[in-house]
Amino acid sequence: MNTETFRQHVLPVSVIVLAAILFWYCLTIGLNAPGAIARVLPKNGHWGYGDFVLTTLNMARPVLPAPHQILLDIWHSLTQWSLSSPRNLLLHTWVTASAALTGFSMGVVLGLLLAVCIVHSQTLDKALLPWIVASQTVPVLAIAPIVLIILGSLGITGLLPKAVIAMYLCFFPVTVAMVQGLRSPQKLEMELLHTYATGKLDTFWLLRLPASLPFLFPAFRVAIASGLVGTMVAELPTGAQAGLGARLLTGSYYGNTIQIWSALVMASLLGLLLTALVSLLERIVMRTRRTV
Amino acid sequence: MTKNTAFRKHILAAATMMAMTFTATGASAAEKVTLQLKWVPQAQFAGYYVAQEKGFYKDAGLDVTIKPGGTDISPVQVIAGKSADVIVNWMPDALAAREAGVPLVNISQVFDRSGLMLTCKKASGISSPKDLKGKTLGVWFGGNEYPFFNWMNKLGYKPDVDIKVLKQGFNVDPLLQGQADCISTMNYNEYWQLIDAGMKPEELITFAYEDQGVSTLEDGLYVLEPNLKNKAFVSKMAKFVKASLQGWNYAVSHPKEAAEIVVGQDASGAATLEVQQRQMENVAKLISHANTKQMGYLEPAAYKRTVSVLLSGGSSPVIKKDPGDKAMSHVVWDAASKL
Amino acid sequence: MKPLHSGYLSLLLSLLMTGVALTQPLQQTATDILWTVHSPAMMIGMTLLAAALYAIWSPLALFHSAVFTFLTALAGLQLLRLGALAQPAAGYWLLVLSLALLAQLTVQRLAEARLAHLPQGAVAALFGGWLLYFWQLLVTVFAVPQVLLPTPLAILQAIMDNAGLLAGDFVQTVLKSVVIGYLLGSGLGILTGILIERFPFLQRGLLPLANLTSTIPLVGVAPIAVMWFGFDWPSKAAVIVLVTFFPALVSTLAGLQATGKLEQELMYSYAASPRLTLLALRLPAAMPFIFNALKVNSTLALISAIVAEFFGSPTAGLGFRISAEAARMHMPVVWAAIVVASLVGSGLYALLVRLERRVTFWHPAIRGHHR
Repeated sequence: MNTETFRQHVLPVSVIVLAAILFWYCLTIGLNAPGAIARVLPKNGHWGYGDFVLTTLNMARPVLPAPHQILLDIWHSLTQWSLSSPRNLLLHTWVTASAALTGFSMGVVLGLLLAVCIVHSQTLDKALLPWIVASQTVPVLAIAPIVLIILGSLGITGLLPKAVIAMYLCFFPVTVAMVQGLRSPQKLEMELLHTYATGKLDTFWLLRLPASLPFLFPAFRVAIASGLVGTMVAELPTGAQAGLGARLLTGSYYGNTIQIWSALVMASLLGLLLTALVSLLERIVMRTRRTV
Repeated sequence: MTKNTAFRKHILAAATMMAMTFTATGASAAEKVTLQLKWVPQAQFAGYYVAQEKGFYKDAGLDVTIKPGGTDISPVQVIAGKSADVIVNWMPDALAAREAGVPLVNISQVFDRSGLMLTCKKASGISSPKDLKGKTLGVWFGGNEYPFFNWMNKLGYKPDVDIKVLKQGFNVDPLLQGQADCISTMNYNEYWQLIDAGMKPEELITFAYEDQGVSTLEDGLYVLEPNLKNKAFVSKMAKFVKASLQGWNYAVSHPKEAAEIVVGQDASGAATLEVQQRQMENVAKLISHANTKQMGYLEPAAYKRTVSVLLSGGSSPVIKKDPGDKAMSHVVWDAASKL
Repeated sequence: MKPLHSGYLSLLLSLLMTGVALTQPLQQTATDILWTVHSPAMMIGMTLLAAALYAIWSPLALFHSAVFTFLTALAGLQLLRLGALAQPAAGYWLLVLSLALLAQLTVQRLAEARLAHLPQGAVAALFGGWLLYFWQLLVTVFAVPQVLLPTPLAILQAIMDNAGLLAGDFVQTVLKSVVIGYLLGSGLGILTGILIERFPFLQRGLLPLANLTSTIPLVGVAPIAVMWFGFDWPSKAAVIVLVTFFPALVSTLAGLQATGKLEQELMYSYAASPRLTLLALRLPAAMPFIFNALKVNSTLALISAIVAEFFGSPTAGLGFRISAEAARMHMPVVWAAIVVASLVGSGLYALLVRLERRVTFWHPAIRGHHR
């Protein structure tokens, strides 16, 4: 079993990751070369190939930081500061994660409600669905400051406005997938239940909901990812408070490229964790369903 | 506080449990003031943070909330949405907003000199403003583009015809990456970021707006005009302005301590002491009246100069009509100097 | 509950409210009760009553539905012409509520009219029209500052005034950044999905990595893209590729694995090659999944391009327009740009829905959906 897991998972992942890291290092050298030659290396041209590579991999303001620079930066941030310090990345990660999860939960509830309404009401289907699509084309970042100010004037600050923006992004994929899923049962199955004189509610529980599950989980994965992005977008106009979005903004602003990438890596890891949680949930739920 | 007022406060508190509206009379509860900054926490706003940290606001009987700004936070929108009492803003943006229907009034001008500059690489062959023709220039938008377009208009250059304009992000990469020949910088901030990134001062050439005769007033305090009719508001603001100016005077005299306070206020953990201290020292150069009686007083002449610069925008001036003296008021400053 | 009942309930409520409204003052400052025949409130009340009564006694047909809608809209128009009241009182709010109930009913009636020659978007258009109407009304009544939320009419005016400008932005953002980035990103995602489906090794290695890239927040990538690819459209297209790639890949994989065991065994018994199985069975079965991703991606691509423009752009583009004009407090222009973005996004989406119906006409989700 152990060698099996190794062959099935560990080996492929590590091979791909190694290839990616190698590619990254080459890219780092290439992208940082002009800056290194112009600003860091001695102007008289007295430098060898080794100096050149070392310089490009250890620049203070690189175009692309090398992986070890980012890992070191994250490591320092996690080990040298207490968990409550704004210099500790875990604090920012938690701030972002809590808002994203709140938004995701709100978005899923809203999405499911909308989908159920749309499937069961002709009026809503015709009146609402086009607008739900249109709602997603409204650029969130443009709306975010307005949302924050309106909510702020109502006295709502802190986590909730960010969660609202995340919800705005989360509910859409859930709604679309759920509508599709609830409508996916075959005519045959629907008619069978009809002959049993099953009510709308029972049809929903017995047939429509189980049939929609395969559609739902991929949507959850997309939703949690976009919810995370939404949260980080909302952290920009909140005025550089805590959060990974704020880290990105200030990093970009102070020209601290390594900080940007550290925040990005943390955000990706957070996203990975969240999608992994969704996948775990999917496994648990799907296991209870006996598929053919 | 006498016994009598304490008793009255109890009665008041009991009576207004539902409404929670404390009138300023009798109750010596701290008056709430919300200040919205123009940008992220940095030494540009040291005076306010110092006044907060050193207790100047508290001593004046105020409970001040300082809201940091961000990329897409427009202080004007915040004050129009009633989420702030007073904002830090540049005068061009404030006057443009006034024309758009937000009746902003300047109550005190902290920076009397402008720190805005255009910084170019000498290597791109620029030695005077004449050489800007045909070059790619990075400009900040978000209300900060007005001085630039005024200047170009004065030089007779049409954007996208004679010069290529880029919407510069909020860092100095375009110049480092060679994507622009010149970028907008503040003399207390971005210019030094270029130096930190390894550029040498002799590789750069800067054009300060102050020297080009196109400078406009920068950081000042603005409130909504209707509020100035309210006596209680004016006296509250007078206390606020006095304490803020006290904070500024302290910050100018103690740059290192001010920088430490600012770094402590930065929730994102990106500000560093050395950068903020340097920024504080350069900000101090923009406050020529620090520790004098004139501190925070908006010179009518400087105001008029800014207005005329903004009106002379050629085909698309920043403001179309002269706001007269309505956009400035010494009411608060006068009251503050009497405190 | 039959829809008819709910309709009658709304009608009765509306009648009741209008009746009560006529005995209440319209404004807190006004002392007179509105029993004067010529007062605007009386006119509005009467129109509302007429609309409700007409709805009760008319059958469900398109013509009657149209008359009912017209009457309700007339009442709405009169209400709007009152303008901003200093202090609206109970009478006013009852009229507004009554109108809201009737408005909801006009949409319901149109949706239930089941007519073949009714254009598809008619119900949504009516619904949207009412939404806009109430937006206009509420912003006017509450005197919301223009810098927070402009009225739809002001936005419409801004669209007409800045048509040339917005057209230039459309070309810059949509035709350059979005189209190129979207085609590249989604295409690569689908292709990669098909390719790694054949190689389990790659699939196991790449999927976690793809998951990782999917969660890279676009906000952070945008400034980096500007740094690498310059200020013009290539940097925006790069961001879009990154953003759209993952959903396309994941959905393609999910779709390719969605075929039933029965069908797979059938193909096996025909001794079909993997390629033939892919073309004849797996790809068609994956189509609904792929289209789902394409639909989500279309809106994602547009938003990404706009957000990316916030971080540095030439002086054109929808994102540039939004951020620059927001700072200048020209909120109507900001919303005009948002409207253009929404129209483009909705248009793209509608196009994809059309295409999907063409391609997956056999799928139960499409087939079982009676129009």
